[in-house]
Amino acid sequence: MSGEQRSNFEFMERYDHRISQLGGQAEQYVHTDPDSCLFKLRLMVEMMARRLVELQAPRLGEMDLISILRSLEQYGMLPKKQADGMHAIRRDGNAAVHGSETPVPTAMRRLRDAHRISGWYCSMIQRGATIRPGQFVPPEGPVADAHALAMHQAAEALEDTIDARREATRESLLLFANEEDVATEVHRIVSELEGLDRVAQAAGEPLVDAEFVAVVMAMEMEQLLEHPTLGLDTREAKREAEKQYRRIREGFELREAMYAEERRALMLHHQREREERHGGAADGSSPKQ
Amino acid sequence: MMHETVTQEDQSRLAQLWFIAARAMAVADGTVPAVKEASAGLYAQAILGLSEEACRHAKSPDQMKHQTLVDCLAGVHALPAEQAEKIMTGVMMIAFADGHMEPLEVRWASMLASACEMSDEDFQRCCASARVIASMFNPSMPSVDREEGA
Repeated sequence: MSGEQRSNFEFMERYDHRISQLGGQAEQYVHTDPDSCLFKLRLMVEMMARRLVELQAPRLGEMDLISILRSLEQYGMLPKKQADGMHAIRRDGNAAVHGSETPVPTAMRRLRDAHRISGWYCSMIQRGATIRPGQFVPPEGPVADAHALAMHQAAEALEDTIDARREATRESLLLFANEEDVATEVHRIVSELEGLDRVAQAAGEPLVDAEFVAVVMAMEMEQLLEHPTLGLDTREAKREAEKQYRRIREGFELREAMYAEERRALMLHHQREREERHGGAADGSSPKQ
Repeated sequence: MMHETVTQEDQSRLAQLWFIAARAMAVADGTVPAVKEASAGLYAQAILGLSEEACRHAKSPDQMKHQTLVDCLAGVHALPAEQAEKIMTGVMMIAFADGHMEPLEVRWASMLASACEMSDEDFQRCCASARVIASMFNPSMPSVDREEGA
């Protein structure tokens, strides 16, 4: 970030000094050290999430970042758009922490996400305040040569596909598709359900044992697992569900590792091209451009 | 090849039945609580073994707009017992996610249990499994939270 350019995160100085500073530091690193930029952004998201939890659900505070984000989401405290941005920063930040090199365009995208999230975050911690985050202005980088520009474009194209694949995964997990009119669908389902309920009542259709359901709902997990008649099946269901859940989680992690590998391969390819063009000698330029 | 096609069709049908059944339970009180929404897709992939693609395809508006709850009940009735039981368990998992059940939710559970031709014992087993899976997919919601929030 050049000396003249103001930080995109300056607006939040009065609401959360530490997070504003982290945002500013991430900006400073985005061109020179994108990995460090992502470390800062990951920390920024973690601090935001913990502050939100402190304010809204202090009992969740002891969990790790992914669990906090999921919980905030599940309880309706974190809108989908902000959640997507925070998860993207978490994933790419984790990849950087584990040694995956980060291309500048990846870091820039996450920086932009962080700026968008910051405006929302300030409105959450300072309810009633008028928050003006302004337009995100990408920090200026060094003047790029043709090769660096080509690398930049290829990295942007790769990031587009990664974003699209992440979005597809996310959409597969939701109850409604993005393009559905949820309010209309809900109305349609509830209307039909009410109609079916009237018919069932008139016909004297039996109901499930709601009292049993309530008892199960209130039971401690240990009680359920040790239940004389249900315990065995419940333990088996738990084991099977844990196994399948782990398999799904590993699949998600594998895909993230694949994205990191695709980025690495792209950077390596362009680095080799650059070296070949310069007669195989290291020219001192950053391969991350 | 033929086997694969059949499997894909089965996946597609199962995915559609699941998402209709799950939606009905999730929105029975007229809202779409995020806590209920979050676990539906995870259950579909982890427990029902549906692919991401099948889950996305089942929810496309073209697929969903002509599907009624009666279609869903008929579809569940035609499923093999094991799959029908998994759908029942998943629907109860969604019911458990926010810690209470509204009358329409009880009605939907009852209609599904009838469609599955489920005995009381089988239903109780589904409930117990659903409770365990609900706490696994929503680990942030120990029973003490629900009691306080009720």
